[in-house]
Amino acid sequence: MLIRKERCVGCGRCQPYCPAGAIYFEEIKSAVDQEKCYECGTCLRSQICPVEAIEESPQVYDYPRALRKYFSDPNATHALTGIAGRGTEESKTNDATNRVGPDDVGIAIEVGRPTMGMDLTNIQKITRAMAKAGITAIEPENPFNDMILDSQTGDLKPELMGERVLSAIMEIKVKRPDLGPILRTLKEVAKEVDSVFCVDVITRLEPGLTIPLEVIKTIEAEGFTWRPNAKINMGIGRANKRKES
Amino acid sequence: MTHSLHREGPIDLLEREYVLFVYPARGFNYEGSEPKIRRLAELIYTQKPANMLVSTLRKNLYSGVKPEEWFASIKDGAKVYCVFNNREQLKKALTRIKEKDEGISIMVSGLIDRVREIAAEAGLHPHTINLSLGIQGNKDRLPPPDIRQFTTMCGHGMVSPKLVRDVIRRIKTGKLDFWEGSIILASPCTCGIVNPYRSAEMLKDLIPLYTVNQL
Repeated sequence: MLIRKERCVGCGRCQPYCPAGAIYFEEIKSAVDQEKCYECGTCLRSQICPVEAIEESPQVYDYPRALRKYFSDPNATHALTGIAGRGTEESKTNDATNRVGPDDVGIAIEVGRPTMGMDLTNIQKITRAMAKAGITAIEPENPFNDMILDSQTGDLKPELMGERVLSAIMEIKVKRPDLGPILRTLKEVAKEVDSVFCVDVITRLEPGLTIPLEVIKTIEAEGFTWRPNAKINMGIGRANKRKES
Repeated sequence: MTHSLHREGPIDLLEREYVLFVYPARGFNYEGSEPKIRRLAELIYTQKPANMLVSTLRKNLYSGVKPEEWFASIKDGAKVYCVFNNREQLKKALTRIKEKDEGISIMVSGLIDRVREIAAEAGLHPHTINLSLGIQGNKDRLPPPDIRQFTTMCGHGMVSPKLVRDVIRRIKTGKLDFWEGSIILASPCTCGIVNPYRSAEMLKDLIPLYTVNQL
């Protein structure tokens, strides 16, 4: 994002809206710290500027800066997935797609959440730790695949190292017995990461909204607990009879 | 879109709040979903959610948008996002959605125990759960919990901690009332799931605890 200096009246109203804290006073006008800016567009969408001085920067869709936009602006459709959002459809449509089967477990690693964002150098710490533990099963349509240079080492593409994103979701699908080692790896790498990430576990339910005991036991054995609120697929979606293109 | 999964706050507030999504599946029931999504959006609107929007016109309930504009914008693959203020409203909405039988996926975010009860009462059989195992990493860098209970209502992180503090300051100095402040806090969320009723309640609790140095 950028603020046109010749228009800005220095009222500062836009500054609190920026999730990155990237808007600051440069003498008497507001300016955007390009290093900090996530290109999320919140300042522009707020329509708070009385003189329309806020604009999208012309370079916002240039690679690799475009990554900031794709992973930070919920309205931006990711070029790889065609989905607006940080990951894929994960559990939301599982009743129609059955992507996570009865013996599977999905794991989502939401880097930068809540609220803080993360630079790609820190994200690479996670991808490298996962690769080192032999975990390379990132969901095929997940946009993380587009950032990875070598899935065996977990190295990200070097040109991305200067970028940062508000949130990106790495999604993995494994068989239930493989959940433990992944949680262990995440617990270890969390000590090295200079930001935050959230871990989600996606599993099919047993009748009566019962979480499978095997999954619960694994989570507890690895020293994790789950929050009392969760996202639940209500089981009324279904696939069309005719296959879509 | 795990962005409704990590809402923080006291259990008595979480207990009264349920996020509901209507979500067609790309490659499975996406094509031809337009009229189904429109019918579901209309149904949800009549159940008086605390906030709402459709993905094809990302203007929330308090933006001045007319519901007819939302419904007219809907096309194949559109999603509907909303948040309800109590379990009875959610139950009524789910019961009617079930009766419609449009075949589109419905997600509910809320306290697991409460959603279990509501699903049973509505005759639904939940299929999949997404559990949050909480925050990992350098948590010292996070904003404090009293600010996070506002910011995590938008899981995409669009509600800045600075905006929460700014709204607190403006209420404290008499420039805004609680409801006006809550509407401002709901505005950056482009999914329409920040609940201004809950924000207003939390602001009332929080305001006496803050001091401001600028009148």
